[in-house]
Amino acid sequence: MGNFMELVRNENMKIYSRLRTWIMMGIMLVIMLAASIVVLLLDEGVKSMWTVLNSEVFSGTMLVTIFTVIIAADSVAGEFSSGTIKLLLIRPWSRSKILLSKYISVIQFAIFFLAVLFVWTYIWNGLFFGFSSGSLQELTNESSTGSVWSFVLSGLGLQFISMMLTTVTISFLLSTVFRSGGLSIGLSLFLMFMSDTIAGLMSLIDKPWKDYFWFMQSNLTQYLSNGPDVTHEHTIYFSLGILLVYYVVFLAITWWQFMRRDITS
Amino acid sequence: MSEPIVQLSNVTKRIGNRTIIDHLTLDLHPGEVYGFLGPNGSGKTTTIRMMVGLMKLTEGEITIKGHSITDSFEKAIRQVGAIVENPEMYKYLSGYKNLVHYARMVPGITRQRIDEVVKLVGLQGRIHDKVKTYSLGMRQRLGVAQAIMHKPSLLILDEPTNGLDPVGIRELRDYLRHLAKSEGITVFVSSHLLSEMELMCDRVAIIQHGKLIDERVISQDGPAKDAVSRYRFEVDRPSEALELLAQHSAVVTQEGIELDTDRETAAWINAQLVSAGLKVYGFRPHVKSLEEQFLEVTGGETVG
Repeated sequence: MGNFMELVRNENMKIYSRLRTWIMMGIMLVIMLAASIVVLLLDEGVKSMWTVLNSEVFSGTMLVTIFTVIIAADSVAGEFSSGTIKLLLIRPWSRSKILLSKYISVIQFAIFFLAVLFVWTYIWNGLFFGFSSGSLQELTNESSTGSVWSFVLSGLGLQFISMMLTTVTISFLLSTVFRSGGLSIGLSLFLMFMSDTIAGLMSLIDKPWKDYFWFMQSNLTQYLSNGPDVTHEHTIYFSLGILLVYYVVFLAITWWQFMRRDITS
Repeated sequence: MSEPIVQLSNVTKRIGNRTIIDHLTLDLHPGEVYGFLGPNGSGKTTTIRMMVGLMKLTEGEITIKGHSITDSFEKAIRQVGAIVENPEMYKYLSGYKNLVHYARMVPGITRQRIDEVVKLVGLQGRIHDKVKTYSLGMRQRLGVAQAIMHKPSLLILDEPTNGLDPVGIRELRDYLRHLAKSEGITVFVSSHLLSEMELMCDRVAIIQHGKLIDERVISQDGPAKDAVSRYRFEVDRPSEALELLAQHSAVVTQEGIELDTDRETAAWINAQLVSAGLKVYGFRPHVKSLEEQFLEVTGGETVG
């Protein structure tokens, strides 16, 4: 049959032909630039470009997560609300492959935005505070050695994995199950913002099973600080394992729902 | 008769304990335009949704060119082009990009083919404008374009004349007949415009409450010469005419008299009446329109 990548191309065409997508991009770029300018004007004790970059990339990732949730929610629910789902599903492709092409385009969207985020903050902070190779002490206040690049990029990578495994996939799931973009955006962002609060509450519970909730494990960046005086309750593999189990369950429900549903919109 | 290209056998759809479609069996042959008539809520759209795999069948089977829509969906649907209900397109894309979108999903559709269908449906001037600026008629044309782009053997159109102006309807009708006759495409149309169906279709099926209640052939060249039909004679003295035509079991109506006969006999009866001194103002065969037949079989339920 046909070429699967053509389906992904279609999904990308639908994402990037919309003004909305470029407004999101503009918002992200303006906020990051503004943050650097504010630091440049107000804070004279900046040690290097990396301290500003690191915190901007961290908060920027939250923004990218919100945007990706919007794209993921609209990807399936939007086809239902516009009625285009009918013309989309009467092609010689199985429903599961069409859903997969949508999911892949959502992942690509997140990677694209994170890459732009990193390059953009690198350029401006370098121009404002001087390009430097930096040292890890500036970021972690620990006597650890290693490359600043790998620290910042692994932080970005872990945040990306955490967001894809939980918030974005939940949004995709809700979008498929409820066919309502608004509901899935609202609910998945609510879960994202509440996850720290819920994790805080749950840590008060003195039972071993509390560790098996995804809220308890969704913060992967904690594992980046691994000096001699830092101890973690679990290993990163344990956290990843728990998240993966949830992830597989979320995806299974999503696909099952999409394959069995009668299209009546 | 040739091998049917589409077969619906005992197709049944139940949602909960409501039976929407009840053991529907239809055969469609290559190159015919098949009309699908029924009152609102009779299950036309549900049937179409099952034929294109959007809804699952509770019982029965649908095959298209021998491929089951349930078991080998991809092979079966490859033969189908369709518009289900309204031709909903991506409004934020241009008409052309919408076509590119669907073209990518079937191997072998070239840019030339896209340009060809754009020309065919007469959208050349506006194809690069966003679909949100299109009128309903233009969307309908774009819908037809995406349905025929991959040269399907079966074209399914749900209420295709909706939103078209009289010229557009005529063009579409001529085009569908052309597709069926010269390219051998089977066209399956549902419509509530009965007069339209009469002009467009070779056969029509009438369904009500999910059941096939009638299926008939529509003759495109009018009734045959020796066909018996109901003739109405407008005369000045009906009762006298009745006496004169005692052996023909005629009845008196408001306008005159009515009886079943063929063309030649009707002319002969006219001569009889005139020579008996009656005034004949006119006589004509009364061909039941599809609409009358439809109301007859569906028991006068409103058609929408």
